[in-house]
Amino acid sequence: MTHTFTKRELILILLLALGGLVVLPGLNAFVPAASALHVSSFTLSVYGKYLTYAVLALGVNLLWGYTGILSLGQCLFFSLGGYALGMYLMLMIGKLGQYKADIPDFMVFLEFLTKYPATGGLPPHWIPFKHFWFAAAMVIIVPAVVAYGFGWLAFRSRIKGVYFSILSQALTYAACLMFFRNDFTFGGNNGLTDFKFLLGYDINAPGTKRVLYLCSAGLLLLTYLFCRWLTATKFGLIQRAIRDSENRVLFSGYATADFKLFVFVIAAIIAGLGGALFVPQVGIINPSEMSPEKSLEAVVWVAVGGRGNMLGPILGAIGINSLKSYATHAWAEQWPYILGFLFIFVTVFMPKGIIGLPAQLGEIKRRYSARNQPTPVRLAPDSVPPVSSEGARK
Amino acid sequence: MTAITLVATTGRAADGTNDYRSLLSQAVILEDGPAQIELIKQLVGASDELVARGLAAWRVNELYVYTSADGAKIPFLLDAQQDSEGKGRGVLLTDGQFIKDNHGEPVIFLASGLTPADTNSKLRKAIKTTLDLFAIASPMPNMRRDAVIKLGQEQNPEYLPYFQSRLQIEPNAQVIAALSEAVALTQIVSPDDKIRTAAINSLARMQSINALDFLKQLEKKATLAPAKYSPQTARALRDAIVRIETHIWWGHFFGTAFRGLSLASVLLIAALGLAITFGLMGVINMAHGEIMAVGAYTTYLVQGVFGSGLLFSLFGHPVSVKGVGLSGGGLDCYFIVALAASFFSAALVGLALERGVIRFLYKRPLESLLATWGVSLVLQQLFRHTFGAANVSVVSPSWLSGSFVVSDILFAYNRIFVIGFAVFIVFGTYLLLTRTSLGLQIRAVMQNRAMASCVGVRTDRVNMMTFALGSGLAGMAGACMSQIANVGPSLGQSYIVDCFMIVVLGGVGNLVGTVSAACGVGVTNQILEPWLGAVLGKIIVLVGIILFLQWRPNGIFVTRSRGLDS
Repeated sequence: MTHTFTKRELILILLLALGGLVVLPGLNAFVPAASALHVSSFTLSVYGKYLTYAVLALGVNLLWGYTGILSLGQCLFFSLGGYALGMYLMLMIGKLGQYKADIPDFMVFLEFLTKYPATGGLPPHWIPFKHFWFAAAMVIIVPAVVAYGFGWLAFRSRIKGVYFSILSQALTYAACLMFFRNDFTFGGNNGLTDFKFLLGYDINAPGTKRVLYLCSAGLLLLTYLFCRWLTATKFGLIQRAIRDSENRVLFSGYATADFKLFVFVIAAIIAGLGGALFVPQVGIINPSEMSPEKSLEAVVWVAVGGRGNMLGPILGAIGINSLKSYATHAWAEQWPYILGFLFIFVTVFMPKGIIGLPAQLGEIKRRYSARNQPTPVRLAPDSVPPVSSEGARK
Repeated sequence: MTAITLVATTGRAADGTNDYRSLLSQAVILEDGPAQIELIKQLVGASDELVARGLAAWRVNELYVYTSADGAKIPFLLDAQQDSEGKGRGVLLTDGQFIKDNHGEPVIFLASGLTPADTNSKLRKAIKTTLDLFAIASPMPNMRRDAVIKLGQEQNPEYLPYFQSRLQIEPNAQVIAALSEAVALTQIVSPDDKIRTAAINSLARMQSINALDFLKQLEKKATLAPAKYSPQTARALRDAIVRIETHIWWGHFFGTAFRGLSLASVLLIAALGLAITFGLMGVINMAHGEIMAVGAYTTYLVQGVFGSGLLFSLFGHPVSVKGVGLSGGGLDCYFIVALAASFFSAALVGLALERGVIRFLYKRPLESLLATWGVSLVLQQLFRHTFGAANVSVVSPSWLSGSFVVSDILFAYNRIFVIGFAVFIVFGTYLLLTRTSLGLQIRAVMQNRAMASCVGVRTDRVNMMTFALGSGLAGMAGACMSQIANVGPSLGQSYIVDCFMIVVLGGVGNLVGTVSAACGVGVTNQILEPWLGAVLGKIIVLVGIILFLQWRPNGIFVTRSRGLDS
């Protein structure tokens, strides 16, 4: 892992960036709707959604693929970012809601006016979200603070491996139950929806959608470059050392808990940013986005794409979600089977995911030819260290 | 008053039936209000259904008067069976026969064309009282009890004689208790200070929860008008209230403890299988919940085979299973068979899972989590395809439905069964792990796989057996769940997070820890639930567990080890 890109990687990234940032939005903006090449605003939004998922997947990968921390609560941070921006969007609806009231619809029918008469029915913590800058800051701060608090507690008492996974799952489950409650003031079951304006622009206008898509693509590219840079520094080296043998790093004098906490917070911020761009493009955020299954799904994108490198998670997130939207139309009944067997197959037989497949096939080929040759060929040492020997029990 | 009592006690004689009927007819035809009321009062004690129907009809203006050929006036009501236009045959109150015309054919009346017998509010009130008092003589003890409780709360001194006379002949203990409570409750409003005090004292002795509100009202009155109440009464009132409130507190305490214990047993049964597969083997089986569902669906299948058969679809092909067609006690036995069947079916599924997936992942526990999640998706969809997305109905055997009450605490049979079953399987698992050679091998492999292998334990086979055992326990948990929760494709999902938390909280690899964690979580949940509601209570418990693990990161009971990452 170096700072510099190999030529092949550079070309690949440039091609992908060109396709994602120029060609797709270009086909949407400049090709007439009648043309076969036209990309509709709806399709663009769907791809925008996949890109935000890919951002989330990069965060998961930074944690799991590079630090060996399997968090089953990443969707909590994704949703927290989404809720933070969603609150701003809710307040921007103004009087255009069903009830023509100053406060969001759900606050009207939950009778918040009687609960918070001083502020005209708006719970006090909602008030600053009228400002975009505040909401944008909260998109980063809320996930970071929650991640810091939980991570500090967990890493300090050296909870790791599967225990950390289970606890993070419990955290997101508890949060999910909490957000389902109406008196938690975040819209309960229905969540936040029916958005109209973002920074004064109509959120459903094709132009706004295009800009949101471009933001998502840009965020993904930046996150990619950031993760790539971070993992190539000395910090990244320690990160991987923690993944491979935390105790040795600890005994070498590094405060592994602090390193892990830092990565955990970074991953939460990445997830939060992804969530913030997810919400205006999808048009809704509700508590089911933070259910434990969603976080597991995000982990699965990374597993299928290939963890421990930067392109795999992006590939996995976009690939599986495209497959999902196709399959839920074409074979709705069979989709859970496909997904289930895909996970089983990938985790059991393809530990390095799709990205690792060529290397895996090459290995098999080498072994096969080695078996057929009379003189044993010395195998090249595996360049990628074992994923985790820490968690294995004696 | 004495005359009425006399009628009430003697009215049970079989030959009294006709008297009551003619009494009622007389009452209807009379024009004199007070005399009518007196007659209606005399009807108390009639156990004749026709009289009851007649009275009820009179109260709602559906009783009519028929003048026969010889000029006699006889009240009648319309038959319950009426045609679409509301026409029906007339039933005479005197003998229950239909009104017939000259040809002996029943005459058809239209309700709207008839003039109902006169009533007024006083009459209707008297009728209602009489009808209420009828219920005291009902042949069903439960009906009698409910009627007595209801009448007692009206605190109507007029009922006293009926209560007292019934008390002398009542065979059922519960009704006797309700009657004495009703008597005392009625007596506390008596103007006589002695009777009042005695009644208050007896209510205190009975620790009557029903009486608390009435006693409190009385206390309020006593403080407002101290002159009317003697100091003894006031003291008796205070003592009674304190005593009953203490009783309620203890009842609440034990009730919560019992419900908490039964929830703990549910969690324990669900988590025990996981304590073995996760706690002992270190495999995170996200399909644990679905294996429980396998057990629950097995129960459903066994029930179908014992009963009237069932229909499901296997990979799109409809399969119909003929039932043996048992009913009653025979059908009730299905659950015992189902418990065993669910153990074996779930163990088989577990065995297949271990051989097919998990054995490749022993060295990669985090990935076993993902693969088994895939398995859980597949199994859930399989349930949906086979048994439909809706819940299937599993009927509890009769010996598991119902409840009994001890000292105002409700003990439901199925909850008691769950507690007993939890004790049974925990004890059984303990014996299996500590007293059998398989248990010895399991513990050896879990403590030191390499060493166990060196001394000749077939670790591969032990893994298989352990996983099958854990899965089998999960299956039995599922069978148990089918008695208290809905059986549907997502049955397992609702328990999986709790199960993992309990195993982690208890300390991995430790059955005692699992038991105490389940008890702690169950009881805490039940204590918090009345205050905070189910959801908030659950959230608090989850957060509480996360914080608790700060203090003891390895759970309540730690298996001591010199290993760095044990």
